[in-house]
Amino acid sequence: MIRTISFRINGQEVQLQTHPLRRLLDVLRDDLELSGSKEGCGEGECGACSVLLDGRLVNSCLLPVALAEGRDVVTIEGYRQTERFALLRNCFEAAGSVQCGFCTPGMIMAAEALLRENPHPEPGDIRTALSGNLCRCTGYSMIVQAVLLAAREGEGLW
Amino acid sequence: MVKACRPRSLMEALEIRDGGEDSILLAGGTDLMVQHRRGSGVLPDLPEKTMFIGHLSELQEVSVEGEGISIGAACTLARLLGEPNLPDYIKVPLAQMASPAVRNVATIGGNICNSSPAGDTLPMLYALEARLLIQSRRASHSMAVEDFITAPGQNRLQPNEILTQVQIPAAVFDNYYYRKIGARKANAVSKLSFFALSRREGQQIQELRIALGAVAPTVIRSREGESLLAGLNPEEIIPVLPEVWACYQSLIRPIDDVRSSREYRRRVALALLENYLRSLGEGFL
Amino acid sequence: MERISRAIKRLDFDEKIDGSARYCADIKPEGMLYARTLRSEKARARILAVKIPPLPEGYFIVDHHDIPGKNIVPIVLEDQPFLAAERVNYIGEPIMLVVGTDRQVLEEILAGVQVSYEERPPVLTLEEAVAPQQEYIYGDKPYFVEYRTSRGSLEEARAGASLVVEDEFRTGYQEQAYLETQSVLAVYAEERVTVYGSMQCPYYIKEALVQALGWSEERVRVVQLPTGGGFGGKEEYPSLVAVHAALGAVKSGRPVQLVLERSEDMAATSKRHPAVIRIKSYIDDKQRIIGREIDISIDAGAYAGLSSVVLQRMTFSAGGVYNIENIQVHSRAYATNQVVCGAFRGFGGPQAFFAMEMHMANIARKLGVDSLDLKRKHFFHRGDRSSTGGLFQHDIKLDEIVSEIEQMSAYREKKARGREGGDKLRGIGCAVFFHGCGFTGAGERDLLKSKVRLKKYPDGTVEIFVASTEMGQGVLTTLRKIVAAELELPLQNVIHHYPDTDSCPDSGPTVASRTVMIVGRLLQDCAREIKERWSEDEVDLLREYVYPDNLYWDNECLRGNAYPAYSWGANVVEVKIDPLSFELDVTGVWAVFDVGTPIDEKIVRGQIEGGIVQGLGYGGMEVMRAQQGRLQQTNLTTYMVPTALDFPPVESKLIYNPFEEGPFGARGLGELTLVGAAPALAQAVEDAIGCQLQQIPITPEYIMELMLDDQDD
Repeated sequence: MIRTISFRINGQEVQLQTHPLRRLLDVLRDDLELSGSKEGCGEGECGACSVLLDGRLVNSCLLPVALAEGRDVVTIEGYRQTERFALLRNCFEAAGSVQCGFCTPGMIMAAEALLRENPHPEPGDIRTALSGNLCRCTGYSMIVQAVLLAAREGEGLW
Repeated sequence: MVKACRPRSLMEALEIRDGGEDSILLAGGTDLMVQHRRGSGVLPDLPEKTMFIGHLSELQEVSVEGEGISIGAACTLARLLGEPNLPDYIKVPLAQMASPAVRNVATIGGNICNSSPAGDTLPMLYALEARLLIQSRRASHSMAVEDFITAPGQNRLQPNEILTQVQIPAAVFDNYYYRKIGARKANAVSKLSFFALSRREGQQIQELRIALGAVAPTVIRSREGESLLAGLNPEEIIPVLPEVWACYQSLIRPIDDVRSSREYRRRVALALLENYLRSLGEGFL
Repeated sequence: MERISRAIKRLDFDEKIDGSARYCADIKPEGMLYARTLRSEKARARILAVKIPPLPEGYFIVDHHDIPGKNIVPIVLEDQPFLAAERVNYIGEPIMLVVGTDRQVLEEILAGVQVSYEERPPVLTLEEAVAPQQEYIYGDKPYFVEYRTSRGSLEEARAGASLVVEDEFRTGYQEQAYLETQSVLAVYAEERVTVYGSMQCPYYIKEALVQALGWSEERVRVVQLPTGGGFGGKEEYPSLVAVHAALGAVKSGRPVQLVLERSEDMAATSKRHPAVIRIKSYIDDKQRIIGREIDISIDAGAYAGLSSVVLQRMTFSAGGVYNIENIQVHSRAYATNQVVCGAFRGFGGPQAFFAMEMHMANIARKLGVDSLDLKRKHFFHRGDRSSTGGLFQHDIKLDEIVSEIEQMSAYREKKARGREGGDKLRGIGCAVFFHGCGFTGAGERDLLKSKVRLKKYPDGTVEIFVASTEMGQGVLTTLRKIVAAELELPLQNVIHHYPDTDSCPDSGPTVASRTVMIVGRLLQDCAREIKERWSEDEVDLLREYVYPDNLYWDNECLRGNAYPAYSWGANVVEVKIDPLSFELDVTGVWAVFDVGTPIDEKIVRGQIEGGIVQGLGYGGMEVMRAQQGRLQQTNLTTYMVPTALDFPPVESKLIYNPFEEGPFGARGLGELTLVGAAPALAQAVEDAIGCQLQQIPITPEYIMELMLDDQDD
């Protein structure tokens, strides 16, 4: 059962002939060669597959691609071109927030989703915003610190 | 063959539903895509034709008027959390559901129609005596949420119907209390939950609603228990507690499962109830 | 602090931060096929028949018939097949693979396979394992291995005792829950098989491939890819999936990718061993513990795997940080028809220290003294001998560690103020522990014989060739720092790629907190030599580990230095318990460690924070239970991994105590940080509720049981 699904991926229009119930994660990784979004659980628990849909954080492993129709999808591959990413990157480095790296793209997307809504979050707000992104390596605190640092340094960016 | 369709309007959706071919309604899909998951790179094995309805604008409206609150069934939890005119007591249970990413996609209608004993929108909706507007091609009717859900995972939605609105009758409350018990502080299926609303005049209880989730096949309310407390002043509450307790004791029928034990659910549910009522009685709330 | 300790940017940071790092599932070479695994549905059975549905063109199966070499995983006891032949011994045991281009089709084929089993009575609990059995799972005994260590005389201890305290403790399964599931990609070309993937031990995999294929070593190559977490879970299990994929690649001539689904990974791959530990202590009239008997039983699952090594470490750690003249430990690893248990950060230590620290707290309660005071009285010092009679030849800073943590956490004041604190019950607990760095006993000497290679190029760059794997713990950074610092070179002049067995010698597995201390030191020694020979254009050095002559180990009697070195630590945890819901809230965590010189401050801090959260999970929310041989929590919805909201930040400090045999004074760190969290948490809960705890994980349901039983009494 093939349908035409049209949406914008990282600012570019795409039109795909595909089954509407395919997971967006599989479409990104297999059809669009965007492997930055990862599969950690396939059931919306770990957040390694997080992308932005019309600016909001979603688990792409749970989203039928039909739900992306006419909407904006941003993955780490698109986001990493931005100035906001550049700052988050420096802050993640400064705070030592990356270990195995598997949760990292999802954490970055979650951080962006938070900061665009709340440019001056408290640590508690950050933890809530990241509560759907699991990390097994860092224990979270250094990631929270990175986001806090980015919020402080990012005057005018968000 | 897994089939799907994407109607352009609510009317078209209802026409398709009326057509005789069974279909599964998918709004956000955050429960369905997990329940029917078959693996990486594999289509979910939804048994009937899937009808996408999450995009339908007719299901997205929120209005807060004198007569009450009306919420489109396909409103996402995040959307509702961002609605300025919705009272806090509606938002607090939603804010503790799943995770930010799931709340951006999951809908109130989806949670209701999933009809899980642990559905986190439900205790609040039961306590608020929410009514559901259910439409078919030729008719529409409304039903109390507590009549809609009949058993775990089961409800009264007919194959030709769509839940379109959640309607909350106007009411004034000056106090609410919500407690969700999960295995960790975020992103946890409820072991049990407790939701209470009250209105007092001076110290006297005018209105009291209590609902308990995940401790029985469906959400519990006890009209009998509530009526024992209606009209009481604080100092009158504690003496009637044993009677009140007895009303809930018989309704609380939890199970042992992978998350928790029957005994824990029962004890904690009753402890939360007692604690809430004592707080009312001691004037703490 | 040493200059080397100063944090630098991780060398693998750039590719990980922007999503460009390519993990195994991200790589899809031309012509690649997918593989999925058919696994046993029965805990114990004979396989009578496997009926496969008609296979579409291009799809095929791989089973034990396709193994040209030996169908036995080369690991200690050699009892585990790569693919089940006539029998299965646990739910989840791999039987067969289906291989093809489309995962949708593979899923349908798998669903259509019918296995007929003849069920045998399974052994499903330690109690059943201990009871008489008709048909043993392995050999003629209910356990795979048994150890006894002994020091001094228990007779003397019993004679001199005025108090005897006896306890039994239980610990549960724990799941590594690395974010990236087990993943490999096998490629067969030009008569060689190469397996790429997520792994901790390229040479274990190589050995497994050579065994299964029956080929010579030169025809087999293993290359590590960026690995999304390991925690021990990718020490031995990847050997199985690597062989599976390789068989598919050889059979088809096409690359085969095998990536486990999360629920499959959780249900079928190795877990932390559940344990039952009984401790009996003899105390004299001066409140001195003069003797101890410890009895350990662990649930190894259906095959021996690494259970003997885990059991050894548990046995050697069982006495804790306490110098007890007379101590006897007896331990067994029982076979059950359940998931095979194996390596997980701490590797037997977490179970041992949970039991010992809780037992010490209980003795203190019975004596009416403060538990930290009691513990302090018995700490090891330099010059003492361990429970296996090994001499501690270096300063042991336990007193300093404990003083530091008491101050940081205000432990004494908080302990004194009592448990009523508003509407919640408050408690605080402290655990003191060690972790032996390096392979157990003389494993470094007898089993591993680590070799490292360091090469200087004419252009003045230097390249590291070791088998050590980066899995987030910073290997690609720390080893380079060591070489660069020794050679006084800028970091960018030191090259270090993910290991490839074609170019890297076997420096041993990336386990046992040995990489910096042992492999790093060997590299430092090479670097020293290269420094002296710097004027030469090219220098290519291979260096092998030499067991220090101040150490001694007898593997028959289990006597001597159980580890080449030890790292030490203390954790304090503060909790609040809600008396209505029995939920536990961790409100403070402190940690003080002695790991010698930190090679990179930030990396060390990351290990501390991550290890502690993983340890707190082990103590509290990470419940994994088996029923009828089937694990009940096999997805991330039911198995509770801590989220960002669950625990507060850790306040930590390091004690400076350089180890001269380590590179720049470094000892091991990676596992130490997990070991002490659960016992500190458990003692805090005991303190809050005033009841003795005897098991982890500590769930609200368990707390309720204890508090209600207490009320009844």
